[in-house]
Amino acid sequence: MNRSRAPILKLGDTLIASVQEALMDADLVGLRDELVAEVKTYRATSVIIDVTVLDVLDSFAARTLRHIAQMTQLLGARTVVVGIQPDVAFAMVQLGLTLEGTETALDLEDALSLLNIKIGRERGAH
Amino acid sequence: MENKETLLPEKSIPSSEVSLRKAFLEFTDDDVAVLESVNEAATHYADSVIDDFYKHLLSFDETRSFFADPAVLSHVRNMQKAYFKRLTQGNYDAEYVADRIKIGRIHERIGLPVKSYFGMYCFYLRAVLKRLRDEYKEMPEKAYNIFDSLMKLTFFDIGLAIDTYIESREETIQGQEEAIRELSTPVLLLRPGLLLLPIIGLIDTRRARQLTEQLLRSVRANRAMVVVIDVTGVPSVDTKVANHLVQTVEAAGLMGAVSIVTGIAPDIAQTMVRLGIDLRRIRTVGDLQSGIEEAERLLGYSVVKNSDATSRCGKDGP
Repeated sequence: MNRSRAPILKLGDTLIASVQEALMDADLVGLRDELVAEVKTYRATSVIIDVTVLDVLDSFAARTLRHIAQMTQLLGARTVVVGIQPDVAFAMVQLGLTLEGTETALDLEDALSLLNIKIGRERGAH
Repeated sequence: MENKETLLPEKSIPSSEVSLRKAFLEFTDDDVAVLESVNEAATHYADSVIDDFYKHLLSFDETRSFFADPAVLSHVRNMQKAYFKRLTQGNYDAEYVADRIKIGRIHERIGLPVKSYFGMYCFYLRAVLKRLRDEYKEMPEKAYNIFDSLMKLTFFDIGLAIDTYIESREETIQGQEEAIRELSTPVLLLRPGLLLLPIIGLIDTRRARQLTEQLLRSVRANRAMVVVIDVTGVPSVDTKVANHLVQTVEAAGLMGAVSIVTGIAPDIAQTMVRLGIDLRRIRTVGDLQSGIEEAERLLGYSVVKNSDATSRCGKDGP
């Protein structure tokens, strides 16, 4: 995988994968493998995937994001997907794609407050 | 009256459309020639026709009310006479068409009913027919030709005028539709991070789409974390509406906002269960108040009531 497409930053116990440009399926698989490996290596407790730059999220991408969340969960880390744009969100629900079981937040800032500061906000109740 | 006329926006139709209309009515240059040939005779009996015309108009309450002002009456009378003469002056060109459209718009604006409009044209034609019969007793063929041409031209005029009636109504309807559309989907910021989306009226596919788009944009603009969607004003919910609702909630969820749906009426709840609509993926609470309280709880707000100036009765949210 070309690392520059989604570099992974480490911030304390949190890993931040910042997607820089459109991802091919292979890039997504690479990101998944790398993230899961690094969660294990750094004993991370949370993962944030920032997809602000993506103007399309297809079924493969949605499934991969869900898989990352489930895999990191097994390793003891929460995954939050941030930065899904209004148009992307609308297109996704039209296609019936949801990120069930995955936490989402508006942007990186919200994700950090979601993870670090308890604001009594829970997702995934449904 | 003159001032009002200039206030009306100029409307015109393309010359190709004018030719098409004339062709459809079989209105040809021959007709123009026939009409021009009776100009003199028409001028001669114009006054008597117009007299009869207004006598008829003023003998009905409904149409009389439009001419209560004597100044207006004398003005429109002159206009009417000019129009009557104009009918036999040839040159039925773009200017003539623009004039007809303008007159139609004026009549539409003052609210002259279409039935009166038609009625007066009918009266017009009959008044002329009567005079033609007397004038050309010996030449019924000629009288027939004149009336034939005149009828084509007046129907051409009627077509133009009625189109302006319809067009004006369409414009009104369109404007109202737009107003309703804009009014119908307000997204209100209730507290920092808390949006309220009251839905009133029927939800169709187009509106659902617009609603969702507006909500998503507001979520981003206001950094909302919780959205309360109140459906008290939605008269009925079927499978389609429920799906729209689920989509809206899920789309907001993808952007990190939790949605709470409130205000589902008892009979709607019954219908939904009977239809087998599954709303388990949506958080619902009974009424708007509970919805706001739930949202405040999620956001960590607590509402404290000030019972009076001196003593405070601390009361956390439920």
